[in-house]
Amino acid sequence: MSDPVNSPDPIDPRPEPSEEFLPEDAGPRAGESHEDPEPSPFDPIAPSGTEASAGDDQKPPAHILTDGEIRARSAGMTRRSLVVGAIGAAAGYAGYRWIDRSEKDGRQELPLRKALHVDAMVSRAVFDERGLAPTYSVERAEDLRFNGPYGVRDDLDPASWRLQLAGVANPEKYPHFQKDITTWKYIMTPRNPDGTPAASDSKGPAAAPQPGVWVRSKDGFGDPMRGQEEAGESDSTLEDGTPGISLTMADLLRLPRHELVTQFKCIEGWSQIVHWAGVRLVDLLDLYPPAQVNGRDPRFVYMETPYGDYYCGYDLSACRHPQSLLVTEMSGKPLTQLHGAPLRLHMPIKYGYKQIKRIGLIAYTDKRPDDYWTKLGYDWYAGL
Amino acid sequence: MESKLPQAAALHPAASVSDLPGDEQAAGPTIRLELNHPRAIRWMHWINFPILFTMIWSGLLIYWGDSDNGYHHPHRIYRIGIGSVTLFRFFPEWVYQWLNAPYRITTGLGYHFFFMWIFAINGLIYVAYLVLSGEWRLLVPTLQSFGEAIQVTLYDLHLSKVHPPVKKYNGAQKIAYTAIVLMGAGSLITGLAIYRPTQVHWVTTLLGGYEMARWEHFFLTIGFMAFFLIHVAQVVKTGWNNFRGMVTGYEIRPADQPLYTDELTEGHPYAAGHGRSAE
Repeated sequence: MSDPVNSPDPIDPRPEPSEEFLPEDAGPRAGESHEDPEPSPFDPIAPSGTEASAGDDQKPPAHILTDGEIRARSAGMTRRSLVVGAIGAAAGYAGYRWIDRSEKDGRQELPLRKALHVDAMVSRAVFDERGLAPTYSVERAEDLRFNGPYGVRDDLDPASWRLQLAGVANPEKYPHFQKDITTWKYIMTPRNPDGTPAASDSKGPAAAPQPGVWVRSKDGFGDPMRGQEEAGESDSTLEDGTPGISLTMADLLRLPRHELVTQFKCIEGWSQIVHWAGVRLVDLLDLYPPAQVNGRDPRFVYMETPYGDYYCGYDLSACRHPQSLLVTEMSGKPLTQLHGAPLRLHMPIKYGYKQIKRIGLIAYTDKRPDDYWTKLGYDWYAGL
Repeated sequence: MESKLPQAAALHPAASVSDLPGDEQAAGPTIRLELNHPRAIRWMHWINFPILFTMIWSGLLIYWGDSDNGYHHPHRIYRIGIGSVTLFRFFPEWVYQWLNAPYRITTGLGYHFFFMWIFAINGLIYVAYLVLSGEWRLLVPTLQSFGEAIQVTLYDLHLSKVHPPVKKYNGAQKIAYTAIVLMGAGSLITGLAIYRPTQVHWVTTLLGGYEMARWEHFFLTIGFMAFFLIHVAQVVKTGWNNFRGMVTGYEIRPADQPLYTDELTEGHPYAAGHGRSAE
């Protein structure tokens, strides 16, 4: 796409046309001559010289282009432009191939994964995630649809549930201190498949596999195996012997109760207004503040289901958002097993896949935590 | 229109022209090359083509995740129909199979949230260029454009034999090309309202809420597809010379026809200064 000889500047003012005053038989529209101080980008570049030849003896007659020469000049420009266009198209296709064939990072092409990180940086810088989600009247709330069984394929005995906290400052000063929180045994029972709702996938029952009774595998020592879902074991699994705090539901419910009616948004594209109740995550974090890292708070929070089947990473700031809620009730009723009983997260500044069900562990960390759906190609940040 | 050289030319009419050899040359060429689309416009137009294509393709991969499956029914708004009568549902299964869309949401998200920057920046530069160069004067519709658009439509549908005036952009084109710029802006705004609905919740609320914003974003995309089909059909129908205007920038035009920019000199509402001159 190259412009012709005079490289006309498109914003050049147009010179005064003079051809209106030429006699008709002098040739229509033949007014421009190369002697013009400012060649016009709009007026004909080809016709010239008629004026000079029209009786002005001082100027040598300029060559008058014929129609054929004008067409030839146009054809030359067309060839040059098509070459440039072909090079551009080839470059574009090469760019696509480069992206498509690039190394994958968590099932996402590396350049696109990096772009997601840049998007997150921009969002953090511009919005700071301090915005509050709109709230609604309770009447507008619906029962949240059950969309995925990941991490909740069997039933958890509520009596065996503990909320483990790791990375808390001076954990030994709390009465619920445990020298090793990784050895706690959650008691799981196989779920009667008749109790499984028909919908277990957003694409309906036809596409959703209907497993029989799901049973967790055991390792050679008879211990339950971790990471039994598609994304496999978490990279942020606590090391054996990690000390921490182990809370019961009664401990947790000493925090002030909060209700919230906000919209739950799934990255698949659907959304529902839901009535939540529970305790604020920020209140828990304030009660058990993190151990400092180099004189400051750690940057991240990691959460996982018992045995780490499902896991999520968050910025600490997102967990301190006033609407980040540790949910014990939905639609005015206690959480069901499929919705993550006894404790799940609602975080209206994040997509649903960050709103982890059946939380067993909350850990402070300064290393960006692993994240279930990030491993399967989704964005880690997932901000709304 | 005033001229600096009229007298000289008028006083020396074509007497001497006849002295020149060759009738054709003596009469001067009957055609000329006229710059129709400046280089910047051409680059931005052609860059936008694959970028918009990528945005639509990746958007469809994302949309598949919430496409109606006849199982849940909260998505009946993504259709053409009234009440319980649905003429067309977006999209039939074969479209998704053809696009290889099923279960490729992450591919769609990856491309969508990368190419959105190029789409936005290209569009913003385009609008800035239109304003700064004065090109907008030839693009933005005037009151007359609406009547002219009807005339153009009737002519194109062979319902009228009155040829619309030859201009750089006729009334229908002015409306369409200005609308497509506004639609691009609408896609950016509705896209932002979907992308960060909590942080920009006031934008989302102004658009009627999250679900409305998604619906608007979706139907703007359908609008782009419709525009694309009509645009390509019209370009094919208008022919190579016109197409070449968007390739080389120059069209071959009859020498006796007024310049495209002359449109701005005859009582045109946007005719401040001359043609494409910068303000």
